[in-house]
Amino acid sequence: MKKLLALLSFILFATALPALAADAPTMSKEELKSRLGSPNLTILDVRSGRDWSSSEFKIQGAIRAPGEQLAVWSKHYPKDKPMVLYCA
Amino acid sequence: MKSSLLLSLALGVSWILSPESLVIAGNISGQTGWLTFPSLIGVVILYGICNRLLRTEGLPPAPGREFLILQHGGGSITATTLCLTACLPLTVLAGTALLVTAGYTFNEVFLYWFPNFGFSFLLLALLTILQLFRKEYGLWLQVCFVGLAMGGLLTLSLCGVFSPDKPASEILRQSTGFSFSSASLLLLLFVGHSTSLEQKARPSSPALTIGFIIFFLWILASLGHVTPEKLATSTIPYMTTARKILGDPGRQLMGVVIICGTCGALNGLIILTRDIVDTLSREKTVPSFLSSKKQRWFLPFFLAAAIGTCMATGLAGDELLESLLRSALILWLLYYSLLCLSAVYWVQKVSASTPYPALFCTLLLIAGSITLVVGDPRRLQMSIFIFSVLFTGGLLSTCWYFIIRYHKHAP
Repeated sequence: MKKLLALLSFILFATALPALAADAPTMSKEELKSRLGSPNLTILDVRSGRDWSSSEFKIQGAIRAPGEQLAVWSKHYPKDKPMVLYCA
Repeated sequence: MKSSLLLSLALGVSWILSPESLVIAGNISGQTGWLTFPSLIGVVILYGICNRLLRTEGLPPAPGREFLILQHGGGSITATTLCLTACLPLTVLAGTALLVTAGYTFNEVFLYWFPNFGFSFLLLALLTILQLFRKEYGLWLQVCFVGLAMGGLLTLSLCGVFSPDKPASEILRQSTGFSFSSASLLLLLFVGHSTSLEQKARPSSPALTIGFIIFFLWILASLGHVTPEKLATSTIPYMTTARKILGDPGRQLMGVVIICGTCGALNGLIILTRDIVDTLSREKTVPSFLSSKKQRWFLPFFLAAAIGTCMATGLAGDELLESLLRSALILWLLYYSLLCLSAVYWVQKVSASTPYPALFCTLLLIAGSITLVVGDPRRLQMSIFIFSVLFTGGLLSTCWYFIIRYHKHAP
């Protein structure tokens, strides 16, 4: 019974995680398309390894910034301008 | 006889038609321009001379030829270590990399809504289940995979060659530089080409000839349609070229080539690994439960579990996979070079004369392997991996050798 409760708690916690991240603003693809080329917008492709190299789809003008190197590249971009991060 | 030639050919070209080979061929053609052609001819001649050596009369026949030659040159432990380290890491790492590539290709070319990882795992499951049936089924499906991939690639190549975007004179002016390290990369295009199911030794390797024709046409088509800069830096040069040649139908045709090439390469590598392990088991240098004669399911499930773990733990999304895969390919090249060196030693002993051209080619292969490690910016990571794999393989082979000896002499 204890094991079952622990498992249920874990599943609940796991499903709640995306909800915790829900306040990160998202941008629709139509909006992004209309703002492509804008000097005020930075687009970052956070995929790494084969996730990036095997993919044919890369947004024009996007800068490659692998997710695991966040601490390194995040310092180089201004915090007051919008940044679009995509991973798929 | 004819069917064994066809099946040998299907196994021999399995890596040649893999997406990884197409990336290497595309990048090198971008770096060295038209000089890729003489380099490719040089590599094919080099492998051709080595193959002729391995098929010299007096050397043991297939299957198990490779192990016996290596055993003659360096003893049982060395032979077992080299055989195991050439095939196991390559199958696991190439399997991981190729399946992820196939997953992305399927998702981006055919079905947007189908998860790429889902497709990769589905392919892995299907290829693993295939290994549970008789070996003949796997071999005939291999012919289908390879046939489809080859047909698609040749169609694209011929369309590209007969309708180039730029004249041949411009391609000749495009040379962007030649280096021994980039030419050495061409050695990695022909991994496993010498695999043969035929008892009777053939003086030439049909897989090598077919591989040469495929790469020659594909590189010619690539240079005629895409700029060298784009080819040299692209991570998917095959898709860029296919799109330039035939537009969206070209992408779809290349999608079929990539998926069938992945299935062919992985199925071929699993069959090759099983054959090697069966030989080692027959020679009692690895435990008998690894043999497909005893337990058909064990090795395929072990390999599938290793590949699945690598994919699930995110190795595919890590740059580390690229250096590990390159190291695994170099381990195969090292195995092949030492196999040729042992064959030179054998022939020298039997015929009392040294086959100098083959010895020279073998030394070039060894130099190529070293250049591939030293000339790579990830050399430290690669050296650590290569030595760790050789050490672990050597340790396991030694342990098993002494266990068997102990049991033989036990009362």
